[in-house]
Amino acid sequence: MGSVHDPVGEPTFEPMIQIDMEIKTFVSAWKHCDYVSTYIARMISQNRSDSVRHSNLFSSAFNELLEVAFRTRHADGELACRVSRYGATDRIELTFPCMPEERQFYEEAVLQVVGFEAKERYLNSVSGDLAPSREVVLLELAVDYNAALRVEEADGDAITLVVDLPLEGLQH
Amino acid sequence: MSPYNLHARFKAQYDANNQEFSISGVVRPQAIDELGPSLALLRDAIGRVRGVLYVNVRRLAQMNNAAFYAFSRIIIDACRARPDLKFVVITSSVVGWTSRKFGRLSGIEPNITVEEYDSEFYPGQGFLEEGGFVPILRTQTKMTWRHERAILPRHGMRPGIVMADICCGIGDFAVLVQKEFQPSRIVALDHSISSLDYARRVMREFDIRGIEYTYGDASEMLLDEEQFDLVTCRHSLQIFNRPELILKELYRICKPGGRVYITNEKNSHCLGEPRAESIRWTYNEVAKLFAHFEMDVELGPKSRRYLIEAGFDDIRVETFTVTNLDGDVQDFADVIVAWADVYAGEMATKRGDGAEFVARFRQGFQDHIFAALHPKGYAGWPIWVASGRRPQ
Ligand SMILES: C[S@@+](CC[C@H](N)C(=O)[O-])C[C@H]1O[C@@H](n2cnc3c(N)ncnc32)[C@H](O)[C@@H]1O
Repeated sequence: MGSVHDPVGEPTFEPMIQIDMEIKTFVSAWKHCDYVSTYIARMISQNRSDSVRHSNLFSSAFNELLEVAFRTRHADGELACRVSRYGATDRIELTFPCMPEERQFYEEAVLQVVGFEAKERYLNSVSGDLAPSREVVLLELAVDYNAALRVEEADGDAITLVVDLPLEGLQH
Repeated sequence: MSPYNLHARFKAQYDANNQEFSISGVVRPQAIDELGPSLALLRDAIGRVRGVLYVNVRRLAQMNNAAFYAFSRIIIDACRARPDLKFVVITSSVVGWTSRKFGRLSGIEPNITVEEYDSEFYPGQGFLEEGGFVPILRTQTKMTWRHERAILPRHGMRPGIVMADICCGIGDFAVLVQKEFQPSRIVALDHSISSLDYARRVMREFDIRGIEYTYGDASEMLLDEEQFDLVTCRHSLQIFNRPELILKELYRICKPGGRVYITNEKNSHCLGEPRAESIRWTYNEVAKLFAHFEMDVELGPKSRRYLIEAGFDDIRVETFTVTNLDGDVQDFADVIVAWADVYAGEMATKRGDGAEFVARFRQGFQDHIFAALHPKGYAGWPIWVASGRRPQ
């Protein structure tokens, strides 16, 4: 991929696809998570070395993020999903409405993910909890998909979860 | 791309004979109650088994964390309540996330083991995949292509279609089709990573576009239903001990009104002159040798029956014979040398054949080569082509 590095040293991700919708529409049906993750996964996987496997993995990871956004308790605002690419890494930017106190929750969750014991914490959660918390969902992305995560502020009461997925490298 | 499937998307089953609980499809519930019956089935299965419960997730395409937790919870609780019980979770190397995700369970409870089901999809995999078969497949495809390029349009091949080549091997056929017929998209699937690597390298080096190589198991593919106008599967049904399972998958991914195209051999009908007798004897033995390893290289003429039984209509069957007169006679001879190497070599040894048998067995191949190279000789390798339409 012919991307160049910007002055800060962060590589330039090439935009691939973007879907925007009213959060109200999105949360009106659970199956939207499945639709959107499946659709986008297929679209962006076509020129990966193994499109079918890439699409399956991508959809699997992306669906979890959408489910997190789905469970947000807000009735107003926009959901924006953007996927961009730099070499073997696909970047998902998921923007959704979020109150300040919740934003703090995501920021802390993402910090935890970076921690050394991420894997151990993930294991403990599987053996201990009844249902996965949002934090664990993010943790799992790091543990099982080698994802790198961060949170960015977005306009209005919204945040953007930025998730870099190096799925191409995860294949055979 | 096929329209999104709205129907029930997963299935859970318990097979008491094998003590195996399996769950397949796409499992993405919003709330755990949606899984009620499947979770009950798992609990019930745990209550009945002794020793080991197999949990088969090979055909699980997707499962969200909510569902994963619900199933894991039951298994982990059972381990704690019944230390006598062991769980073996069977994942698939094809579905990338399953081994990672389910693999974690063994780190939680020692009584859970996770096995990636991978090798031995078909009985002779070792011989054909690891053996020196790649160059032979190449030459074989070159020889059959001379015939198939004229035959394919009678079986649904035309420009602009969406097609799949299942068990694509090193991808030569897909490349030839791409050049000759320009379909809009080709998905080419195989279960040999080394063959796919080779295919991808060729694609890069020759800057070929429009072919998507994918790693998969032909008997349970991640491909969606009703996607392809034409599904080809060449020289491969004959190497599976249960070809009907593969055909079922080919049918599933084929569009209604689309066609499935298969080619197979009837090895005992390989022929040559002079030395016809020796040649005939050896190729009869080839068929028996493959049968010993549960492969049916006599499948060619049975194609019609297989296609009918799989639900196809408008079935078309034809045969052609690759001969020493087609093109480069040395190609023909090279292929036979390679067959002799594998059949009279590794395979015969594995069956435990004695020296005397092997000598006579080899002689037939040598005679076939002799016939091919003989100035007045004739040597042939017959192929059966068949296709059927998936009803509208
Ligand atoms: C005899 S070769 C034929 C290859 C190619 N179609 C050709 O004509 O040259 C059989 C192919 O089937 C592949 N194969 C075997 N088992 C498979 C499975 N379960 N799923 C997909 N491919 C499989 C092998 O890797 C091999 O490439």
